[in-house]
Amino acid sequence: MVPFGRVHDLVSDKAMLARVLSPEEIRLFHSTDEPDIPGIAGRLAAKEAVFKLFHVPDQTLPWRGIEILTADGGWPVVRLTGRAAELARLAAVGHIAVSITHDASCAMAVAFTAPNPDHRSAHGSDRQH
Amino acid sequence: MAVTGSIDEVRDWILRRHPERQTIDAEENLIQTRLVDSLTFVELVYVVESTTGVEIDFDNIDIQNFQTLATIEKAFFITA
Repeated sequence: MVPFGRVHDLVSDKAMLARVLSPEEIRLFHSTDEPDIPGIAGRLAAKEAVFKLFHVPDQTLPWRGIEILTADGGWPVVRLTGRAAELARLAAVGHIAVSITHDASCAMAVAFTAPNPDHRSAHGSDRQH
Repeated sequence: MAVTGSIDEVRDWILRRHPERQTIDAEENLIQTRLVDSLTFVELVYVVESTTGVEIDFDNIDIQNFQTLATIEKAFFITA
């Protein structure tokens, strides 16, 4: 869960925002004049939910390596790169789905692993190395 | 290289975010006590960087350096 207030602090500093969102995610949120606070909060909540699937102690959250993008149909899709992809492989986490919801002042997300719909490989889904 | 700020500035920054607290022991685990969560951690790294003038490679952070104020001080404030 991410309160919108926390995001207000982040978006006021571009360098800070660039540490938690990838360039592609930042492009998603700057199509309008005002930053999409609920949208960013939802993404951050989803990144944290995905990270918790990896069950790794003593690791920092690889914010930019867990990208929450948008499918053509509008639903969120997870793309893992770099350390995030490696942590998922080590945790034998396959395809990941997330669901994001918003309330008046915060966003919440849930992430779960599901059998890989494409049956591509035991560990492959949207991961890129 | 001389470090500009002091660990007290980091302690004060954390305390400003936790008005329910008056002090933070140097050995108190900041993460286990939830004084610092994953989002605050991003900002904490930023505070340590701006306080010390040292740039931290955000993608290769050793989280052990951020467990307590003492470990932060040892890793970033005490120069050899």
